[in-house]
Amino acid sequence: MARKTQQALKSKSKKGLAAVAARQALSIAMDKKWSIAKRIAALAQATPLLARSEKHLESLLGVLRDEREPVAVRLAALQTIQATSFDISSFAGVRGDYLLTLRKIAQDENQDIRQRALGALAREKDGFAQKKLLEGLQDPQKALVSPEKALQLLSYDPHAGAYDVARSIVDKPPNPTAKREALRLLAADPSAAPIFEKTLLDKNELRENRQISAAALHGIAPDKFQDLSRQIVLDSKDFDDIKASTLTALSQFGDPTKLTADSSLQDTADQLKNKGSSKLRSSAVQFLSKYGR
Amino acid sequence: MNLELQVNDSTNAAARFVGWTPASCRVRVTNPSGTTGSSINLKVTSRSNPGGGELQFRAGSAGNFASSITLSVPTNGATILFFAAGKFGKPSSTLGDVAIEILDGSTVVNSVPVMVRIRKNANNLSPQERDRFVGAFAKLNDQGQGRFKDFRDMHVRISLSQAHGAPGFLPWHRAYLLDLERDLQAIDPSVALPYWRFDEPAPNIFTEDFLGEADANGTVHFSENNPLQYWRADGLLGVDRQPLFALSSAPELLSEAKTLALGNAYKGFRTMEIDPHGYAHTSFDGPISNPATAPRDPLFFLLHCNVDRLWAKWQRKFSRFDAANAASFDTIPSSNPGHKLPDTMWPWNGVTGNTRPPTAPGGPMSGSPTASAPGPQPRVVDMLDYQGTLNEVSALGFDYDDAPSSIGAL
Repeated sequence: MARKTQQALKSKSKKGLAAVAARQALSIAMDKKWSIAKRIAALAQATPLLARSEKHLESLLGVLRDEREPVAVRLAALQTIQATSFDISSFAGVRGDYLLTLRKIAQDENQDIRQRALGALAREKDGFAQKKLLEGLQDPQKALVSPEKALQLLSYDPHAGAYDVARSIVDKPPNPTAKREALRLLAADPSAAPIFEKTLLDKNELRENRQISAAALHGIAPDKFQDLSRQIVLDSKDFDDIKASTLTALSQFGDPTKLTADSSLQDTADQLKNKGSSKLRSSAVQFLSKYGR
Repeated sequence: MNLELQVNDSTNAAARFVGWTPASCRVRVTNPSGTTGSSINLKVTSRSNPGGGELQFRAGSAGNFASSITLSVPTNGATILFFAAGKFGKPSSTLGDVAIEILDGSTVVNSVPVMVRIRKNANNLSPQERDRFVGAFAKLNDQGQGRFKDFRDMHVRISLSQAHGAPGFLPWHRAYLLDLERDLQAIDPSVALPYWRFDEPAPNIFTEDFLGEADANGTVHFSENNPLQYWRADGLLGVDRQPLFALSSAPELLSEAKTLALGNAYKGFRTMEIDPHGYAHTSFDGPISNPATAPRDPLFFLLHCNVDRLWAKWQRKFSRFDAANAASFDTIPSSNPGHKLPDTMWPWNGVTGNTRPPTAPGGPMSGSPTASAPGPQPRVVDMLDYQGTLNEVSALGFDYDDAPSSIGAL
């Protein structure tokens, strides 16, 4: 009995020490007198305390909002707040303020802060963030992030109203990455199938745009995709990388009845397993292991 | 003489998988021709391919394991029970790289290929293990419309209260991973869910051949023969995941040693929901950093496999498999349904409305040819004794490469 009491006291005192250490860590994290590195390290140590206290989480939201704070400390504060948000019960009381804070810092002077805030809001399908991102795509003077980042974040919500602007960017892209992200965004729009058919078959297109088109068609027009994939694999003049991509899709997701009966495709795969890039050879071997004669 | 050899009490080839946890096996004489007497002494042993899995055996329900055992088997067709288990530290890498052999003298009279199927560190998978996992996962996703859609729909904003912020956090995710793993195994039975050990560098995971490599925009790229290039979730194509740490190092979060030292009672240990779990999620910018969108990213399942592994290691360290021990779980009388030991868990229980979400995607828990637990509607309590330490029928059918069985294995 005495031993149990001793153990309980020891455990209580250990917990007490941990609580004191967490309070000290929080006080260092909030105090501008300390170095940036020390404050960031202290934030992680203060996490157990933050998780139990809305008051402390509100203080940390204050650090995140404060443009006079070093950017590195604000970003660390954001990460800590987001880590704490996984304990949804403790976080419920500050979630509203968290979203308001994100909206405020979405227009911060610092680009990293803006981008992280807009990303977090876009994942919540936040209308304010979507409006700002669309405005930036339509008028570059108002852009808070690069067009490729804006398109990526708008893709998180198929109802964000971004399909028209994405189509115009595919036609007249400000840079190659923006075109790629516009294609990815349109992959959720079944009516964009003709864009993907054209891009997939265009040998002058970048490999990644053709690959995205293959993946997009696979989702929105699977039968068409299977036909075009076959066409690409059989085309002796097409590139190895796109052949490997489409052959991989046929192996993994194709119609087994059609593929088993397709002697032309099997003959071609049989040739490809001995020539071309290593990835293409590997895709051909995989295809034949499933559908070879 | 003909023999029948059952693995996991089944002659079905789909049941020929074992872990560190002892698997119940049986042997019987189906045709006694050529034998004399009422019984015959048979040797049970194993044969491994080079680098393959290794097995060990035990004649009864208690005692130590050995690399071979001798059984006296009646010739009248009665079955004799024995146990087989993977030798700790010697998992398989392919199906059939080890076989159980039955010898009469020096003659092999029966042999069945098996696999010591273990959840491994994803950073150390062979290219073949990696490709099989990635292939099965891409198939499960299948344009975002395959069975994966159910798993995505189970972990959304409206259902987070079932899985997070309360004592059921670890049991719920153990069930979630098990359900997914069983569906992966229905596609390719040689696959076990690997884990991302997030407190160590894991450069082999974030490559184009595995879970992809992010560019400056946070868009993840896959190689042309990686089927994850066709990944789709919530209708969205591809994966976005920008690491906020150098991939040659580990994220800043609580180390494994410190996590296992969070306390000897579950109440203290479950604070790991924030650190390291929450920090592992937020060590990236992208959907994985938000509780409601995280399962869009296949990395989610490797991250949570490590969370579950940490719980498994903590359970072993402090012997916390027994629900009757108050320190094995955090029993809070006011917990919402789904967070107390006897509660069934959503969505497998199909219960909707009131304190549960309005829909229950996915139906009951998938079954397994190698384990009867936890049944179609798992309870929180069913997740604790995952190796069958207290009751062999409680074993859930998975093990980790660095968490041995607590039951008499070598």
